[in-house]
Formats: sequence, C-alpha cells, structure tokens
Amino acid sequence: MRVAFKTLGCRLNQYETDALAAQFREQGYEVSEQEEGADVVVVNTCTVTNQSNQKSRHVISHAGKVNPTAKMVITGCMTESHADQLHQKFPGATIINNQAKSGIFQSVDALLKTGNPVLSNKDFDLFSYQSFTEMFHTRSLVKIQDGCDNFCTFCIIPFVRGRAVSRPANQVLQNVREVVAKGAKEIVLTGVNISRYDHQGLKFSGLLDQILNVEGDFRVRISSIEPDRFDDHFFSLVGHPKLAPHLHLCLQSGSDRILLQMRRMYTVSEFMSIVDRVRARDPRFNFTTDVIVGFPGETEEEFEETMDVARRVGFGHMHIFKYSVRKNTRAERMPHHIPDAVKTDRSQRMHALAEELKAAYRAPFDQTEQRVLVEKWADGKASGYNDYYVPMVFDSDNKKRNRFEQVVARVQDFEE
Amino acid sequence: MRKRSFNLHKIIEKRDLTPSTFVLRMERNGLEFVAGQHIQVGPPNGIHTREYSIYSAPGDKDLEILVREVETGLVTPALKKLKPEDGVVINDAVGYFTLPGDLAEEQPLLFVASGTGISPFHSFVKDRPALNYRLLHGVRYASEAYEREDYAEGRYVACTSQDAGGDFKGRVTDYLRQNPVNPDTLCYLCGNCDMIHEVFDILEEQGVKSDNIFTEVYF
Repeated sequence: MRVAFKTLGCRLNQYETDALAAQFREQGYEVSEQEEGADVVVVNTCTVTNQSNQKSRHVISHAGKVNPTAKMVITGCMTESHADQLHQKFPGATIINNQAKSGIFQSVDALLKTGNPVLSNKDFDLFSYQSFTEMFHTRSLVKIQDGCDNFCTFCIIPFVRGRAVSRPANQVLQNVREVVAKGAKEIVLTGVNISRYDHQGLKFSGLLDQILNVEGDFRVRISSIEPDRFDDHFFSLVGHPKLAPHLHLCLQSGSDRILLQMRRMYTVSEFMSIVDRVRARDPRFNFTTDVIVGFPGETEEEFEETMDVARRVGFGHMHIFKYSVRKNTRAERMPHHIPDAVKTDRSQRMHALAEELKAAYRAPFDQTEQRVLVEKWADGKASGYNDYYVPMVFDSDNKKRNRFEQVVARVQDFEE
Repeated sequence: MRKRSFNLHKIIEKRDLTPSTFVLRMERNGLEFVAGQHIQVGPPNGIHTREYSIYSAPGDKDLEILVREVETGLVTPALKKLKPEDGVVINDAVGYFTLPGDLAEEQPLLFVASGTGISPFHSFVKDRPALNYRLLHGVRYASEAYEREDYAEGRYVACTSQDAGGDFKGRVTDYLRQNPVNPDTLCYLCGNCDMIHEVFDILEEQGVKSDNIFTEVYF
C-alpha cells in the first residue's frame, strides 16, 4: 500500500507530516510525496492566509484529479477553520482535525482494512508523534511546543492550534537522542510559539541548553521564534558550537504603533536589542524574518519604518505577507483596511529590498570555507546549508547525503 | 489540544457606574485566571464576542468585567440590556499582562489606564492590596473615576481632560511629564493605542527601560 503526503505551510506541519510518514513506513507502507499510484493521499493543510487556503484547496483538488481512485484524507489547520466548506467540497474525503492528526495512521489503516476510518481518542495526543530522521527533509524536526496564547490581532493560529502547551522536557530530550542515534545531523526545534516554552518552570533557553548538551555530532537550529521572551541565559548560549547561528525572528512590522495594533509584545528597540546582543557575540549571525505589509491603518511612513528596520538588521531572508483578513480576528474589525493595490505595491518594494539584503548578507560567504550539511547531490555537485543557513554548493564525487563537510564552497545563487 | 471553549455564565448583578458604563458580575463557574488576563464575552444567542480584561480578583467568588457601551457596537448594547439571571457566554482566560509572581512588596509600580483600561489594575490591586503602586487613570470627566474608593488612599490619580473635578486636570501624559517616574519603576499601561504609544515614549525618556514597560492595548 502506498500513502502520498502533501504538506502546506509551516515547519510544524512539515514535522507532523514527516513523523506520520515515518510511522507509515515503519508499518510497511510505501510513502511518497507524489499522488500518482497512491492508495491514500494525506493533505496537511494551512490556513494562515487566504492564499494558504487557496493553495490547500488547489492541492486537494489537483490530487483528486490526478488520482481519483485514491482515498483522500485532509488534516491540518484548514480543517479547524473551514471544516464545513471542506466537507461540502470534498464529500468523499476523511477529515481529521489538528487534535487527532497524530492518529492518522490508525485512521488510514482502519480505512484501508475495513473501509471505516475509525479513530479513538486513545490513538492521539499533541506530542505522540514518531521520532524520525530523513523522511522528506534531511533536517530532523523536533516538536517542543504547540498552540499559542498570544492572540496577535491578525492571526488565526490560536483559534486553529489551540492553547499553548509545552512538551515535557524529558520527551523532547528523548526525541533528540533518538534522532541523533539514527544519524540526524541537524535538529530543528519547532512549535507554534516556541519562545513561550515553559514546562514546570523550565523555559526555552533552559531546554535549549539541555538539548545542546546531548552527546553527538549534530547542530541545533531554532526555527521561527517570537522576539518577546529572550533572557540572559539565551544570549549566553549564542556561540555554542552546536547552536546554528541563525534565528528566524519574526518582526512583522518596524513601526511601534503598528506593533501595538498587532498586539505584538515587543517594540522595535527591543527587537533591535536582541539583534545587537546576538551580533555582539557573532557579527555574521543570520537573522531571517516574517513581515506583514498593509496591516490596517499602516501609513506609508510606517511601511518605510519597516523597510528601515530591515536595512538596519540586514536580514538574510524575508518572508513577506500582504495582510490578509482572517475571520473573527480583532484586526478584521479594525478601520482603515489598506487597498489591495497599495498592499501589492508595498509587497513588491519589500521583496526588492529583501533580495538586495539577501545577496548582501550571503556575499561574504561565497568561495569561503564553510561547514555544509549535504542535502543533495547531482551531476558532481553537492549542496546544502552552512551553519548560517546559507545554501552552498561545491564539487564533490561523494554522493552521500546527510554528512557534514568542511569545504570551500560557493553560495548557491552565486554560481555562474 | 485544548481550544478556548465558550461556557454559559449566569449574571448575578449589573452595577451601573455611569450612564454608559457598568460592571457585570457573573457566576464564576470554576473559571481560573491570573489577575490581568482577559476573556471573550458575548450575549448568549449572538455570534459576536468582545475581549474584556477581568475586573475582579482571582480570589473572588464571582467574576466581573467593566463594560462601556459603544452605541453603534454589536456587543455592548446587547450586554447592557441583560439582567440578573440572564446568561453570557465566556471562554477561558488568556494573556500575559500579569504581575511577576516573585514581585517584591516594595517594588514601585506605575499603572496607567485610559477609560475601562483600568480593569486589569482593579484586579491586580484587589488580588494584592499591599502592592506599592500609583495608578493614573485617564478619563474625560471625574464621574468616570470608576469605583475609585477601591484603591488605597493617595494611590489613585484621576486625570480628567474635560473637567477639573479629578485629581489632575489634563491627560495622563501631561501628569507624567510633570511628575517623572523613578527609572526603577515597573510600568503597566492599559487602554487605547495612542495613549500607550505616547506614554511608552515618555517613560523611556525618563529612563525606564523598555523591558520594564508592559502593555495591554484596547481598541
């Protein structure tokens, strides 16, 4: 039996898909990212923006057209926000919400064996995912947290992922030890709001410290993190040989007034203070970020403030989102929504700046010696990311993936 | 995954403070919270809810919120019409606008509120009466100094912008400029966005580190 997985959205969704796929493989199923020839297609949806909804619907429809005989299973955040629509549009599909996602194996297994996708609440909880390494990604994702209580005014995620909950530290450490034992070279810590990690008084920096002290040859990458809970302990860990010098630190806006309207829990100066303290320890440290342009009431000057912060930080990469109304969020009811043409114009200008900044950040790494985790090999060239999350490529006869190599390499985009 | 779910709470009392502002006291129904957190509240058969910081203290038997009617609003006019024995829907409390658990008793605190933004401070003070605080309350008229008798003598300052009946004639920002704070003060700001924005800048100018300024914005 073959199960195909299609994943949209965030790292947490990627983690959950990879973990589910590992479970299917361990139970004797073939797993794939291609829907052709599959007996079951599992689509892990995203609802963070309107575009995410459209993409999710498109992926489901497309999979149904490519392989109409496959049984369709839909999960992820869209099943929380648009359950009725999904039921109507895809009446033959089995829809499994986020809470039950970790029980998809039991459900699909039952569906194929009995025609009935039964699922008991004993079959799932938020953290009962299989440990894995090297499924659809070379990096081994480890879930440390789920849910969010921040309730930023633009964001639907607290409504679809639920209240913040932290995975017990012993489970996280066990998961890390397991994937390192299986050969993982890069651990990516994931969650909805990992800066709020708090399990029995152990905060994120304390957990990170313990993870960094797990034995083995691996590096730890922190995925997306909010800039509102950094403590001295965290800064003391910057420079640790196992901690990848890269943070995806969510800015959202460079205007203090807009940050307040977004109900973000930091100011621009606090954001910059994190950047400055980290760069004082490692001047090349890579900051990537998320930015929303065209939030209700955002003036041209406030947009320019965000551009200015981006220049000051010199982001290595930016995810730029045009503000997208999410139903039942506070921002939906705010006055002065920005016309789409203005949002598009600001988005284009921000993208142009982002490309400029990315090239400037990456340039000093080109043709220098770097430690690269090889993820791909083709036609005599190995490629992967260096510690700073810059994609590198170099000539190699060694086709082996998931290995560190200390080598003079080129930045991938800079190849002639 | 635990989602926020709505439960029905019976109204015990509606206490009018001004023609447009009232306190709704409701059954607690086991709702747990920390002083400073907020809940969503709405009429029982409506589809709309609004966020309210909890006005009462975690140790109180009942639950209270402070509501100002927005005449064109979808929720507050309906809440205003409710009577004791009627119900409202409420979900569980969330939010991080809370005092540190290990706060020293002598730690100076500044609370700055505009209008009904006084709610979390009412909860703070009722929960921990020994706090060393000063509360600046920005309102238009002295009649909007909601239940000022609940605050210890000399700690509450009504800053009135439209009449001279308060403790200070002018806005909270004027008061702060004339009465600078000690930079060691922990500052909590709750209310409208513009007030918070302006007060934040003033406090930073007076030497308060942004790490020591906490905000809860009302819209």
